[in-house]
Amino acid sequence: MLAILSLGVIISFFICATSLIFLILRTFSFGKRSLFAKSKGEGKKGIFYAFGKGMLPWEKESAKRHVLSYLAGIFYHGGIFAAFLYLFFLVISLEMTIQIKSLLRLLAGIGFFSGISLLIKRIIHVPLRKISYPDDFAANLVVDMFLALAFLNTFYPVLKPYFYSISIILFLYIPLGKVRHCAFFFYARILFGLFYGRRGILPRRKFET
Amino acid sequence: MSRESRRAKDPFEKKIDELMPEDINKVLRAFHQKLNNQYAAYLNSCVRCGLCADSCHYYLANREIPSIPAYKLGLVEQIFKKYFTFLGKKAPRWIKAKALTRDMVQEWIDVLFGRCTLCGRCFLNCSLGINITYLIRAARGALASVGLVPPGLQSTIDITVKQGNNMGIPKQDWIETVEWLEEELRIEVNDPQANLPIDKKGTKLLYTINPREAMFFPLSILAVAKIFYAAGESWTLASENYDMTNYGFYSGDDDVSAFISDRLNRSMERLGAQTLVLAECGHGFNSNRWEAPEWMTKRYGFEVKSILQIVAHYIQKGSLELDPLKNPKPVTIHDPCQLVRLGGIVEEQRYILKQAVTHFKEMNPNREKNFCCGGGGGQLAMTRFAKRRIEAGKIKADQIKRTGAKIIASPCHNCIDQLLELNKHYELGVEVKTVCEIVADALVI
Repeated sequence: MLAILSLGVIISFFICATSLIFLILRTFSFGKRSLFAKSKGEGKKGIFYAFGKGMLPWEKESAKRHVLSYLAGIFYHGGIFAAFLYLFFLVISLEMTIQIKSLLRLLAGIGFFSGISLLIKRIIHVPLRKISYPDDFAANLVVDMFLALAFLNTFYPVLKPYFYSISIILFLYIPLGKVRHCAFFFYARILFGLFYGRRGILPRRKFET
Repeated sequence: MSRESRRAKDPFEKKIDELMPEDINKVLRAFHQKLNNQYAAYLNSCVRCGLCADSCHYYLANREIPSIPAYKLGLVEQIFKKYFTFLGKKAPRWIKAKALTRDMVQEWIDVLFGRCTLCGRCFLNCSLGINITYLIRAARGALASVGLVPPGLQSTIDITVKQGNNMGIPKQDWIETVEWLEEELRIEVNDPQANLPIDKKGTKLLYTINPREAMFFPLSILAVAKIFYAAGESWTLASENYDMTNYGFYSGDDDVSAFISDRLNRSMERLGAQTLVLAECGHGFNSNRWEAPEWMTKRYGFEVKSILQIVAHYIQKGSLELDPLKNPKPVTIHDPCQLVRLGGIVEEQRYILKQAVTHFKEMNPNREKNFCCGGGGGQLAMTRFAKRRIEAGKIKADQIKRTGAKIIASPCHNCIDQLLELNKHYELGVEVKTVCEIVADALVI
């Protein structure tokens, strides 16, 4: 049974990865925007900014004014990465040291509580609820269950079939709904960096004429 | 007022009500044509975290859900998902994918034209970096394909297309204005040889203006002429094709935008100047510096610069002598969104003002993080949304109040118009000037 589920995790992962690659490639079916205006700055620097300094809370007002949500988001995503890493170790049957296992457990646990807090915020904060889609709630729930089972599985290996099952569901759901942003985040941030970098706006440049 | 009576009074409402299925299909086709890989990526990215809400001056002012940038983006995304994604076709309710209907068109107009100045602040603050601004512009452009641009904005575009400039100034009137300004310049600098060259070939700079200056603020043209005189610059104005504004940018109609911007290109070719210099105007700068080459799908064979870059360069190389004591009142700077956050002219105006005034104060936030004054996005032309525009301008008015400044420098005539209204409405008690006017006041000749 566990071997079948393990295989299911691998297959669903490949379906997910292939679908995400397809979705990204499909964006080019709408045509690629060519740029003719002469650059003022460097797109490359803009991309470094977008993934570096530009992610810091004091650089973005949306983060600065909502530090708790920002931190919850950081911990949530940290937890998700940890849970995926934990899943990877389990699927390839690699022994984890107690320190690594403890770290992943901690991250997954914090990630779970962060995810739940974001879900509660989405439910009780009226403006956020009103702009939300059913997918927003479902995606959060599926990911929270994934995190919860990753966390619990570090204590109770008997839960492994459940952890594998939710992992399969998550992998299959990722390309369908908003969780596809796990790939599109990088795409959008690269475009953000290119836009601001090329126009010489970000990172801020010293004055020159 | 009932919908019936609204229709009777407002031909634009009537036009919406009379939309036929083929019109809706035309909007969809235009929307599809405007999509590219970047827009498609953005439309797959929003997670509706809602953190963009506080970045929008409309939402901060009225706290209404349709003012949240994610909501505005959602209106575009819902259509994209319905027609271009698997889940949108199979399970539309799950991701709120919606068909484009007359009601949706109505909401697009009200929200995408009426609650957005295309200021780009949500783009800058988006957790993912989604260019909501340009997606809204694309949707506006799709509406433009069936003539659904709110009347005031569309009539400004029509005047520009038909008469060559957004004020419909006849060529002879413009030439006479330049002659009158030349006389004024001669008196001001006490030099009978001082001139405002027009259609002079082979100069270093071609200076292009916002026709509102010629009509309502001619002294801002005079200020620039005085600066050029003091710097001994080789420059000219053009007798035609001199309008550096482009309201097609606001309607989202790329073909019209290209047509309007190409006029400056033609003036450059006709006069053989080396650099196209754009007057103090935010959207005019973004349009002609960054967007026009994309609309026209060609590279310019000349430099395109803001007058602020030119003046900053003069000061830096010592071509202008300035006496800041001539501007003793505290001055603050308003950063026009299209010039600064989307245009990249950030430090020049600060460098200039620090040399030209005794007391310079920053607003907070400033530079690329500035708040929109509320006058962009074609709002000043769309009178149907005027109440919202003034309401949304409160954020800027409060910023100005906090500085304690007596003069606001604004390198954009659109912003100046809005700031003048805010000054009156919120009783700010300030003067509003262009940067070049302040520099001209400080000139030692």
